[in-house]
Amino acid sequence: MFDKEYSFKGTHAEKVNKLTAKFDDKNQLFKRNLDVYMMAPIVGFLYQKKAEVNTGDGAQKPTKIFPQQLIENGDDLAFTYRLIMLLDKKNAASIDERVDKAFRQFNSPQAENDEKLFEQYVLGGVDVLYEKLIESATSTEDYLKNLYDFMEDMDDRYNQTIDADQISALCRLAKR
Amino acid sequence: MLLKSMSLTNFRQFNGTQSVNFSVDPEKNVTVIMGENGSGKTTLAQAFTWCLYGATDFDVQVVLNKAVAQNIGPNGEASVQVKISMVHLGVDYIMTREQKYTTDSTGGLKRPNNTVFKIQYKNKDGQQDFIKESEVDLRMKEILPKELAKYFFFDGERIGNMSKEIRKGKSKEFADAVKSLLGLSAFTEALEHLGGRSSNTVIKSYGSDYDSKSDSKIAQLRDEIARYDARLEQIEKRFSEIDNEEDTASEKAKEYEIKIAENRDSEKYAQERAKLKNKITSLEQSKVSSTTGVIDTFNRKGASWMATKMIHDALKELADADKLDTGIPDIHARTIQFLINRKTCLCGTPIEFGGPAYTELNKVLDYIPPKSIGTLIGQFVRECELKSKGAADAFDDISNKFSVVSEFDADYAELSNQIETINKKLEGMLNVGELQKKYTFYNGEVKKLRSERIRLSEEKGAIETKRERCETSINELVLKDDNNKRVARFKAYATYMYKYLFSVYKEKESEVREQLEETVNSIFKEIYNGGFSLKLDEKYNIQIQVDDFDGYAGDVETSTAQSISVIFAFIAGVIKMARENNSDENSMLMTEAYPLVMDAPLSAFDKTRIKTVCDALPKVAEQVIIFIKDTDGEIAEDNMGSKVGMRYLFDKKNEFETELVGR
Repeated sequence: MFDKEYSFKGTHAEKVNKLTAKFDDKNQLFKRNLDVYMMAPIVGFLYQKKAEVNTGDGAQKPTKIFPQQLIENGDDLAFTYRLIMLLDKKNAASIDERVDKAFRQFNSPQAENDEKLFEQYVLGGVDVLYEKLIESATSTEDYLKNLYDFMEDMDDRYNQTIDADQISALCRLAKR
Repeated sequence: MLLKSMSLTNFRQFNGTQSVNFSVDPEKNVTVIMGENGSGKTTLAQAFTWCLYGATDFDVQVVLNKAVAQNIGPNGEASVQVKISMVHLGVDYIMTREQKYTTDSTGGLKRPNNTVFKIQYKNKDGQQDFIKESEVDLRMKEILPKELAKYFFFDGERIGNMSKEIRKGKSKEFADAVKSLLGLSAFTEALEHLGGRSSNTVIKSYGSDYDSKSDSKIAQLRDEIARYDARLEQIEKRFSEIDNEEDTASEKAKEYEIKIAENRDSEKYAQERAKLKNKITSLEQSKVSSTTGVIDTFNRKGASWMATKMIHDALKELADADKLDTGIPDIHARTIQFLINRKTCLCGTPIEFGGPAYTELNKVLDYIPPKSIGTLIGQFVRECELKSKGAADAFDDISNKFSVVSEFDADYAELSNQIETINKKLEGMLNVGELQKKYTFYNGEVKKLRSERIRLSEEKGAIETKRERCETSINELVLKDDNNKRVARFKAYATYMYKYLFSVYKEKESEVREQLEETVNSIFKEIYNGGFSLKLDEKYNIQIQVDDFDGYAGDVETSTAQSISVIFAFIAGVIKMARENNSDENSMLMTEAYPLVMDAPLSAFDKTRIKTVCDALPKVAEQVIIFIKDTDGEIAEDNMGSKVGMRYLFDKKNEFETELVGR
């Protein structure tokens, strides 16, 4: 996984194009398609939003991520993949099974469905990002404000309850 | 002097010949000429000075009517004429000034010829006669000197200047003119005749009668005295020049000093503005860099930051399932296989196939090499720690940068406002450096003039001493000679008479001046009922003083209404005195009453003051001629009512043609 060219298609291609377009003379929300691809599965999972590949009205050309970029960022992508596999209880109820999916089955023929699930989260995340960041924006200030509001919303929903100490404490468990 | 009529031919907007008769009825002595703006009131007023003195205040000196000028055609000519008829000291005069205009071959106006001024009068036999051409200007000066004319032909719009001139007394000519109006000229002429400045006075003529042939020493001394006199005269002349120059220069210096004070803040404001502009620039830069910063952090750390919750939950899942409790150090699957094969554990517990120890040991296989995923999990946990630490500050960072961006508009507006405020303040302010230069220049001039005066005073003192010594020596020498003794006696008589007459004149003059001050004051108080009074000094300078304010005795600044009131009071006062002297036949003072011709005099006054002015003027002046715009005219007519003898209206046909019609 993460070693072949990836293409966004249909409505998602359109949305990714907009997410990576310049909104003023020099700034764009995402610098590369890859950056969208790296954030989208996390967002999709957190918002529990999945989406299927579509072709839109058929007129939209796919937009690609080259294999080289994917290979270079393979570790980060694998990390995200593992997180999702470990946490998605709908996909597998028991922790043993999820650990297997995250670690043992990663990049194996058994992972086919899981990889499809990952892509569904990627596409769902693209939908969320588009809706949150782009849809209502008309000016430079709007894009930036949407970005901040989105982050603030995330902070409220998830991050405020967690502090670095909790994570460090959990990590220490592993080092015994 | 009473004005009877005036007729204008082709004078500015008066096309053809038009005449106006002025009321000479002593009871109804007011003539009102009314017209809208631009109809020719000022032109008519200026026609007086043009006719009598050949000068106008107009920017364009061509006085020929435009319509006439256009119709001359090539190589033609047309002339402008103003004719004024008047009575002065019982003699009928007709003053005529004419100017010829010719055109070139294309019909364009050439430079006009000089004006020709003629004075016609009725002689004792009742015959019309002309004053000799060489004497017309002199005669005009006797009738009404130009310096004074502007106070009788009075332009309401020039009031500011006039007030300044009157208050400063301006020149010797002015004081002389006032004296002559007040009937003191008989005195001054007698004094001038006996012992004035000119070289052929009575006293000086005795000097040249000395028989100095016999005594060359006397001649020598007299030459010396003449030299001293010439120098003294130069010095005196220079003194009065210095007075004028110093007045002008110190006035200018003061003017610039005030301007400097008013504009002193401009430099400060300019610096402040430059600072604010820098702030705006750095604000704009920080907006740009913050925007880029937000995006950059979002791209670099956003995903990891968002994953924090997932990382936490994942670690917790692993910990709860004991998945973190990985393996036994240095134990390999081969070790376990070995133990299973020998069927005894390290602790000696037997291992039976399918038994509890067997199951437990097989589980361990999952966590140790080679089947172990422990390494993967360990690596995963390290990644978790790294990512959560690396992204911990992402949101704070974005918040800070975003707040810069979102506050930009308010901060920018605030700074722009401040700049705008400063711009407004700076508008209309002048460059202080330039002003300072001018101030320094004029101030330097004042200092130079002062030191020149001191130097001249010293020289004058020295010369006077020398001259006195010469005089004494001459007297000593002269007394030796009988003839010279006789001349010396005559000279002594003449000198005595001069001194006596001078003391009488001084007394009379100060009496007249006091009387004028009183008259002017009573009129001033009637017109302007504030707590001020006027004071006249020896040079006829007017000062305005506060009556009811203890401890302050200086001159005070005046408002426009005060200034105009001062002028009215002064003119009316002079006229009134002149008129009263005239009726006092036994007086040594001889004078003549004068009319008051006023152009737009009331515009600066409120209704109450217009009423008092309208009340006062026809009473003090023998004749009043007012040019006035319609609105003020109605108020004036309401207030003067029964005094108005003649009424005219300007009928404006177009910009270049106006007709005068009776009402």
